Amino acid sequence: MTPKRTVALLVLLTLAAACPAAAQEQPRFGGVLKAAMIGEPPSLDLHWTTAVITQQITWHVYETLFTYDRDFNPIPMLAESADVGDGGRRVTIALRRGVRFHNGKEMTAADVVASLTRWGARATPAKPVWKSVEAVTAKDPYTVVIHLKEPSGSLILALARPNSGAAIFPKDVVERAAADGQITEFIGTGPFRFVEHKPDRHIKLARYKEYAARPETANGYGGRRTAYVDEILFLPVPDVSVRVAGVETGEYHYAQQLKGDLYDRIKAMPGLEPVILKPYGWATAVLNTKQGLMTDKRLRQAFLAALDMEPIMAAGFGHPSFWRLDHSVHYKEQVWYSMAGAELYNQKNKEKARRLMREAGYTSQPIRWITTKEYDWMYKNALVAKQQLEAVGFAIDLQVVDWATLVQRRNKPELYEVFSTGFTFNVDPALSTSLQCNWPGWWCHPEKEKLLEAMAREIDVKKRKDLMDRVQTIFYDDVPRVKFGDYFPLDARRKELRGFQPTPELFFWNTWLAP
Amino acid sequence: MKTYIARRLVAVVPVMLVVATVAFVLVHLAPGDPASVIAGPYASADDVAKLRHQLGIDHPLHIQLGRWYWRLLHGDLGTSIFLRRPVVEAILDRAEPTLLLTTAATLLAVLIGVPTGIVSARRHGGLVDQGLMVLALLGTSVPNFLLGLLMILVFAVWLGWFPVAGYVPLEGGAWRTARSLVMPAVALGLVQSALIARITRSAMLDVLREQFILAGRAKGLPENRVVYKHALKNAFVPTLTVIGISFAVLLGGAVIIEQVFNIPGLGRLIISAVLRRDYPVIQGVILIVAAVYVLVNLAVDLAYLALDPRIRYQ
Repeated sequence: MTPKRTVALLVLLTLAAACPAAAQEQPRFGGVLKAAMIGEPPSLDLHWTTAVITQQITWHVYETLFTYDRDFNPIPMLAESADVGDGGRRVTIALRRGVRFHNGKEMTAADVVASLTRWGARATPAKPVWKSVEAVTAKDPYTVVIHLKEPSGSLILALARPNSGAAIFPKDVVERAAADGQITEFIGTGPFRFVEHKPDRHIKLARYKEYAARPETANGYGGRRTAYVDEILFLPVPDVSVRVAGVETGEYHYAQQLKGDLYDRIKAMPGLEPVILKPYGWATAVLNTKQGLMTDKRLRQAFLAALDMEPIMAAGFGHPSFWRLDHSVHYKEQVWYSMAGAELYNQKNKEKARRLMREAGYTSQPIRWITTKEYDWMYKNALVAKQQLEAVGFAIDLQVVDWATLVQRRNKPELYEVFSTGFTFNVDPALSTSLQCNWPGWWCHPEKEKLLEAMAREIDVKKRKDLMDRVQTIFYDDVPRVKFGDYFPLDARRKELRGFQPTPELFFWNTWLAP
Repeated sequence: MKTYIARRLVAVVPVMLVVATVAFVLVHLAPGDPASVIAGPYASADDVAKLRHQLGIDHPLHIQLGRWYWRLLHGDLGTSIFLRRPVVEAILDRAEPTLLLTTAATLLAVLIGVPTGIVSARRHGGLVDQGLMVLALLGTSVPNFLLGLLMILVFAVWLGWFPVAGYVPLEGGAWRTARSLVMPAVALGLVQSALIARITRSAMLDVLREQFILAGRAKGLPENRVVYKHALKNAFVPTLTVIGISFAVLLGGAVIIEQVFNIPGLGRLIISAVLRRDYPVIQGVILIVAAVYVLVNLAVDLAYLALDPRIRYQ
């Protein structure tokens, strides 16, 4: 090659290397982002509810001391650092300075102590962790100390969780909560501030100009959060066909929870991009281990043995992009993913099921299974499973009710043997709702409880993973819930919505609207 | 006359009492409760029970009913559990879109239905009559939500003439409000117009066969005068009844259309309230809608007087 040609080639290579950088779009500020949501949040108090929609909206406003990076490890958010001392019984959290609430006041340790104390007493996911907390104190205006009765491997993970998360509110907002305990002022430290809630119209958030962003590059839910859009309008649009039509015409920039059979249509639309949230949740039948027929372990094992998960998942979620067969209580994408009990998943073993039913003395008593059409997939899962279970001799009494009825009835063990639900993504195995003893289904297993307690105390990740493997072995032997498979919802976004990251938790910071 | 009106208004009280009791009992007997909805899907049973106590919905039913009567006696419909504001305020806030939508739909139904009925009656038995009545039959058979979804597809998605859904309040400009209501009003009104057309036609046919119409024609009155002044005025009494009922029905029918078109009116309010078991809101809206029914009926009865002087109320 001649020197001239070499130079020309080098120039070309340099240009080629430079092109992607040049093509990379610069984020721009401005615009109003409109997101079509499935409905209204039941409350805007993040400590009060585990409703996912509350979290999706309010975590733009409220922030937590920690959050998760892209690998779901906890990283500081409002905290500057955390130091564990006294053999794991004291966690000292240094707070970031200069972080201002949306009312202009600087966040201090007093706000954090008031918020964490309230969260520990109020939020459902906080309670298992808070059992080991002795006191939360303010060492100085920028240092909070959490005193523990015993070491906790779950504490920081719990403080980082978005759902029903440990949001930090101003102390006076906590003190001014309404008579029923809910906060009435929605003030946080997030990149967006709350502007107004017009029920059934919109929830409006606006960029918080004084927002104190972290200096690090964005990483998962953490790092630098930038509010590029001037406002976010969360619009409750309960009808799925209207959500689709709206995002198609450009009235909404984002539409959540669309039907999987629209996938090909959305892919073909020039202005739209399908969004598949992966991992997200697993579809399941929860068996009542407290009262009634399903207290017999052999019947539960028969229930599991009879099922062929593929048609169940295909009926519920259609297009294979939205589901996968998997046995694990945690997802492939997580460090807690376990192969324990895998051989007992998707057995399709009718003979084994019949044998176990005979051993249990089952004589076609009705198995009451509560499900709902409000989540279409729950009903379809149940319908196909019903056929398979009836083929081995179970008598399934499928009771189709609305969601509000289902969540009420599942708290009454005398009313059912099985109910449908889904467990969404959870970072800490010790806090997984699917494993808790005080949750409907009441799976209280002495050995499992001990292992979960040990896991909550354990800080070492490898040891926690070993404990989780043992819990999952018990899960498949004792069969408190029957996992059908993992599911991934379909959302859609306009192509002009840039910078969007599809993660298990929806967020719109670091996203902008292209002209 | 004044005595009659007073008597009718007094009769509203027991009706409202029955409605209030039935609404309360039905709502509370239905399974599900707001505490489970607020607490969310992953809340423990203990937390839900605690919340029920904090919301005051764990008291015996008869005590809650007594409180409901007591509040009603003081003109208080209670406070929404989810909206955290008085039910009356929530209803007033949602009244604008629903009233505008219902009025527009009723007007549309009358403007289409009455002339169609008249033309049909005048061309009785002919091709036009049969064609219009087939259309009317079609109109009454198509569910309004289906019509709504089809209109969204054609006029919003394909043609882009109207917004897909949503409502622009009057403060955002009357033109924009009107534009946001065109499709839902048509979807809602078209079905009622078919009913009005059929009733108008039937009433007109009866009246056009009367002796006084024959006399009018015999003395050489122009046909339009015979039809519009003499026949229509007499035939309008049953039509007015249907229009009155239509208005009330549309108030109820707006529930589905408001859901389809995402209009934050009374319909959406009650659907959200039912799904979330917001007891005070469900009871309040049922009571208000029942009151509107009763008052619209009274107004229709009084309007008969203006149309037919032979009618007298004792």
